Amino acid sequence: MAILETKNLSKAFGALTAVDGVSLGIEAGTLHSIIGPNGAGKTTLFNLLTGTCRPSSGRIFFDGRDITGTPAHRVAHLGLARSFQRTNVFPAFSLLDNVWVAAFACGPSWKGLLWRRADRYPEVRARALAALADVGLADKAEWPVREISHGEQRQLELAIALAAAPRVLLLDEPAAGLSPEETKRLVALVRALKGRYTIVLIEHKMDIIMSVSDRISVMHFGSLIAEGSPAEIQRNPEVRRAYLGGVAA
Amino acid sequence: MKKETILLLAAVLVLPLVLRPAIASEIWIFAIFGLGLNLLLGYTGLLSFGQATFFGSAAYVAGWLLKHYGIDVFLALGTGVFVGAASAALVGYLCVQRSGLYFIMLTFALNQLFYFVAYQWTSVTGGEDGMPGIPRPAFLGIDFREPLPYYVFVSALFLLSLWIMKRIVESPLGRILQAIRENEVRAEAVGYDVARFKLAAFVIGGAFSGLAGVLYAMLFGIVPLEAIGFVTSGNVVFATLIGGSGSLYGPIIGSFVFIWLSESVSTLWARWPLLLGVAFVIVVLFFRGGVVEAWSRFWSWRSSKPKT
Repeated sequence: MAILETKNLSKAFGALTAVDGVSLGIEAGTLHSIIGPNGAGKTTLFNLLTGTCRPSSGRIFFDGRDITGTPAHRVAHLGLARSFQRTNVFPAFSLLDNVWVAAFACGPSWKGLLWRRADRYPEVRARALAALADVGLADKAEWPVREISHGEQRQLELAIALAAAPRVLLLDEPAAGLSPEETKRLVALVRALKGRYTIVLIEHKMDIIMSVSDRISVMHFGSLIAEGSPAEIQRNPEVRRAYLGGVAA
Repeated sequence: MKKETILLLAAVLVLPLVLRPAIASEIWIFAIFGLGLNLLLGYTGLLSFGQATFFGSAAYVAGWLLKHYGIDVFLALGTGVFVGAASAALVGYLCVQRSGLYFIMLTFALNQLFYFVAYQWTSVTGGEDGMPGIPRPAFLGIDFREPLPYYVFVSALFLLSLWIMKRIVESPLGRILQAIRENEVRAEAVGYDVARFKLAAFVIGGAFSGLAGVLYAMLFGIVPLEAIGFVTSGNVVFATLIGGSGSLYGPIIGSFVFIWLSESVSTLWARWPLLLGVAFVIVVLFFRGGVVEAWSRFWSWRSSKPKT
């Protein structure tokens, strides 16, 4: 059964239709990748799914429930968490506090919001530390963000999403700007998360996509042009044309 | 006890000995006002140029009730806190719809709106003449008309306010507000209704401003029109920045510097705001964290120097 589904989803910015009639179903427990050339509308699709933008038309269903038009802060509470393409963290905070903020948001209760000391929430802290451990940053929990490397910031980006204890994880180019070595580490990480979460992955690096995905959807100029298993996508002539601009087709 | 607490208690004890009690009272009142602003400016990253709206409204309403209905001190304080919070809820609701420069201009414009209401509504506010004749009712047989008992009262309320603010900034709410300051988009994405949290910061800040407003009215026995004017809004921003907006104690130090300069130097030299201007330029250019940062940098420089 599809846990996340879109029906004829479109988003227009003036004359540009960034997402054009996308109907997509993400099966629970799978890792579903969305690929496509730059400007294909992948990130806009994420923005629609997470409530950052409202769609111009079409509907979004999460776990059978219509969530179209739900604001971003409420989508997070439903169990849909995202990471960002550009590192989007809380720069003045320690790693732990970065993750803590996300863990608290989706925690069971906000009791003591105004009065209890923030460091007196052992269960939130435990979940935050677990999320940091999941991405391999547990030993740097107390470090300030500006003292860790770009690669580690990408891992932190992921930890913030994980700390919300989501049911579906939307990862927007988690390996953006990483060295081959760091990329390898991140791929191992994503692979380890596979199965624990339903994952929707946007990525450019083909080798990553082909090795980790269960399903792949291909976007081009805002529309879905193909969907299938990695092997099917590799053979698809239309996908080759979109990527190679028709030259080799 | 921690170092800050001891220093603060010492200051509370010593201040009325070295300054006139009225000026000492004014310092703590202005510090309460600064604490409220700093929740917005330092913790949430919202520059409100309209804090006098809440300060002045509370001073007028509570002053009116004190003057015409003879309410007791605590009812007056409660009224001030309530009026401050309520006016901040109203203004904040409108302002948090926008961000950046538009936000700042909205806080300023709404402040002007309140100012002109006070200016025109002379039958109540006295307009340009202010609202004089505000009493300081006695409490439990303590005569607050004497400056020293009133100072004790004000400084106790200041310490209480500081303690409450400390609890707030160390609570999850405080951390969420800082997260909003650091990255609004991400705060929204992890599940916080950013506009609601900003409004909460406004209301809490407004309550502090309201408390300061009533204490101010009772201190001088008058609500001058300037209490609700943009100069007052600017002064509290100014004082907080000089003290250091990034820390809990910054506005307190700022208030001390600001009031002390304005009360002592102003009698010697009419152009004293010039000094403040210089101080402000130095802070903005070299010590963005105000006096608090300058102090901690001085100490780390001292301790890093090799001993000879």
